[in-house]
Order: sequence, then structure tokens, then C-alpha cells
Amino acid sequence: MKRLVVEDLKYRYPLSQELALNDISFAVEKGEFIGIVGPNGAGKSTLCQAITGLAPNFLKGAYGGRVLVDGMEVAKEEIAEIATHVGIVFQNPFTQIAGSKLTVFEEVAFGLENLGIPRYEMKKRIEEALELLDIAALRDRNPFDLSGGQMQRLAIAGIIAMKPEIIVLDEPTSQLDPQGSEEVFQAVQNLSREGMTVLMVEHKIEKIAAYADKVLLLCAGKLIDFERPPKVFSREDLEDYGIAPPVFTRVCKKLNIKTADGLYPVTLKEAYDKVVKILE
Amino acid sequence: MKTLSLYQPGRSIIHKIDPVTKLLFIILAIFVPIIIGTWGAALLTLLISLSFILIGRVFKKVLPILGFSSIIILSVIIIQGLFYVNNKAPLFTLGPVTVYREGFYYALNIALRIYNILVAVSILVLTTKPSDLIEALVRKGFSPRIGYIFSSVLQIIPQMMSTVDTISDAQRSRGLETEGRLSARIKAFFPLIGPVVMNSLISTRERAMALEVRAFNSKRKKTFLHEEVKTGYSRFLQFILLAILLAAIVWRVLS
Repeated sequence: MKRLVVEDLKYRYPLSQELALNDISFAVEKGEFIGIVGPNGAGKSTLCQAITGLAPNFLKGAYGGRVLVDGMEVAKEEIAEIATHVGIVFQNPFTQIAGSKLTVFEEVAFGLENLGIPRYEMKKRIEEALELLDIAALRDRNPFDLSGGQMQRLAIAGIIAMKPEIIVLDEPTSQLDPQGSEEVFQAVQNLSREGMTVLMVEHKIEKIAAYADKVLLLCAGKLIDFERPPKVFSREDLEDYGIAPPVFTRVCKKLNIKTADGLYPVTLKEAYDKVVKILE
Repeated sequence: MKTLSLYQPGRSIIHKIDPVTKLLFIILAIFVPIIIGTWGAALLTLLISLSFILIGRVFKKVLPILGFSSIIILSVIIIQGLFYVNNKAPLFTLGPVTVYREGFYYALNIALRIYNILVAVSILVLTTKPSDLIEALVRKGFSPRIGYIFSSVLQIIPQMMSTVDTISDAQRSRGLETEGRLSARIKAFFPLIGPVVMNSLISTRERAMALEVRAFNSKRKKTFLHEEVKTGYSRFLQFILLAILLAAIVWRVLS
């Protein structure tokens, strides 16, 4: 079943001449992990905002095409209602903390209170979200006292508790240190294992290669490719779009090591297995 | 964690009383002495408020508040004592200046009222968590948006101040003089204010989006994580407070 369908999506920011998104079409199955890559200004964040209905409902501008989440057209719905189907996590963990709550537990409750979820259900969902993001031990801490990685996981927990079917993560690790990034990646991987549909914008290409089922390559508002990671990262013209392939792919390219389907390995494991086989 | 609130955590009975009752008490403490209009009433109210402060064990925190306001009150006493319009009977003379009885008493009356307001408000502010107060008001039908503004400001302003510190450190490390002569400080103001304003505009936009996707503008009926604190005696207390207010009004009308 198609969880997310994007059809001929076009979007132009107010006061801008160029299309930030130019005729984008793709579909995502339930439970897939999609990595979104592209150079700065490619329209990655705009795409995330269009999927969650922030464009055009919050960010005004010229909009065309359709985004369907489980058959629901997001441009015609209220953002608060869309939030129960698609959640989004932004770069800066600090601005995502509501700031009106004094503990981690209450902070996760923020969205649920707004949605009018009954108290017993609310508590159950918060417990689950804290557990899933591995921050249950921090439940009584003040959100602003957490480290970057913890705060970002709290932001994700706040979204997950609202039980969306899809979660969109817009560079969730770009402002975090290596340890914080790793914590967030682990958490996202957990969500994906639980069967949640994940779309993640990320510059750490090796991570995308390792986790994503499919890679969506964007450049200048256009969809260049939407394929399995080895297929996208084996493209000869990849660097023309401002993307350096994963380090393992580059090494294998230099050594001309290919997998059975004629593509280059993209993860450490694939590359290692291939090299071992050759050496044998 | 720095916050702007004056709340002092504690376990006294005063801490346990719900915020709405405390608000009601403030109204009472301000209006009953005015309605009755005698010195005794004002003094008694002040003593009652102070005893609540003592029970709540926050007396030390009231002292700076009272101390600061005393400067203003002292100036009121001096000015009214010397220049009150109805001044007739001299109270005492200090060299060339004469302090008059009417003005002096008038000023004392004002002072009592100010102390009354300050101490009554202190009970609420010092013994109630700001978030509890706001939540109680939202439950009573106060706008959740305005409630959010009040409660988030308490936490976000200290955060913004630390951003300002970071920006000023960054500018200083690039050779900007932010200390020293007044002219140097004024010059330093502009390179600082640009990034600070830009930064807060950007984060305000981000925060607005983050709130939107957490259903802040949802049209559904809001629920609350915490159950409403309804101590058995809060209803009883509110009833007594209202009865006192009514009695004062009746007394005033009849006499």
C-alpha cells in the first residue's frame, strides 16, 4: 500500500522567482526508509515542509500538484490534523522544545494535550515514546538541561507520541556532536524497525547508504533519482549534483570492484565482503 | 536550570492551596481594606498575609521585595508629609521643614495598601509554580495561546540571554570592544544587535513551525496531563473568602 504519494509537486516561495520544488513525483510504501540527499538549496527542507503541509498552509507561496498521505490531501487539511498522520523533526533541537513545560515527561505531553487525547491514553503513549527513544531515565529532567542529542531525541519523542504513520526528519543531526548524532541515528533506526515510514534528509552519506531502502536525489528543485542506494551512489554523474558518494563506494570505484548487479558497494559490509571474496 | 520565576519549592499547606484560591485571596486582600476603609482592617489584612508567608516559609524572599518598595514608600511619606493639599496640623518640625499630620497619615494609608498588595501577591508568586498557575487559568477558560506565551517566556528568555552571551563572545573574539568607555559600548551595540535580532527572528519562525506540527492550533478540545488539583478544603476556602468579601460589602452599605 502506498503510504505517501507526491504528484507533480511544485512550490515557489513568496518573493522568489525560482521554483523551490519543480514537478516532483514519487511514492513511498508503508515502512520504507527514504534518504533524501542533495546540495544546499536543492529543496530538501522545502520538500519536507510540503509533505507535512507546512507549505502551503503555514509558509504561503505558489503551490501546485498534490501530496497524499494515506489518500488524504495535505494542502486541504489543517496542520494540526495532518500532524496525526505525518510528523516532522527539524534541525535545531532547541527551537522544537515547547518551552512551557518543566519536565521531559510533560514536554512529550504537549502535542497530546493539544490533540485532546484522554489522560490514560496520553500517559501510555508518552511511556512508549520515551522507551522507544531511550530517554525514559530523563523523564523528570528539565528539557533545557539536556544535551543536544538528548534534546533532539526528546523532540522526536514529542512527535512520535502523536502516532503519525510517517516521520520526516530534516537534518536532525546537523547540529549535534558525533555522539549525539549516533544516538539520534540509533533512535531513527529503532523507529524504522517498528514499521514506521521514515523520510530523512541527511548529509552524512555513509549513514544513508547503510540505513535507507531508497535514496531520493534532489538538485535545484528537481527530482534527479529515486532508487536503491547502490544504484544512486554508483551514478557516474553523482558529483555533478554536489554529492560525494560514500567513502566505500569511492574506494571500490578506484579499484573497480563491483557487486553482482554491476553496481559499486555502498556500505562497509558490502565492500568488505567483496574485497574478501576477491582476495580469496 | 535558570528560569525567571520567583517560585520557592516547598511542602507547606500554603504551597498545596490551589492557585485560583490564592488569586481570590489577592483580590480580597486588596479590596476588603478599601471597602471597609479603616486602619484596623488594612493592618489586620497585612498581618494575615504575613502569617501566610511565614507558614509558607518564604519570609526571607519577601524581605527584598518589601525593602525595595520601602524606598518608594519613604519618598511618598516625605512628599505627602510636606506638601499634601489638606495639610493643617504640624506633626513635628525638623529645622526649617515641617511635617504635617494629615499628609503623614495619608501617606501611611497608601503605604499600608501597597504593602498589602505586595505581600498578598507574594503569597501567590512565591509558593505557586508558574506552570501550575497558568494551567489552572487555562482550565478556567483562559486562552491557551496567551497561557503558552506566559509560561514559555519564563524559560525561553534565559535561553535567549545565553544566546546573546554567545554572540557577544563571538564578536569579542574577533576583536570587538564591548567593555570600557561609553563610546566603545555604544559602538559595540550595533554589531551585536544585528545577529541577535536575526537569530531570534529565525528561531521564532522555527519555533512557530514546531508548535504548528505539534497541533498547537488544533480545534479539538484540549486535555491536560495532570489532573486538576482539587484539595477538599479549596472549595471551602474559596467559599469563606467570598463570604468575607460579601460581608465587607454589606457592612459598608449598611453603616
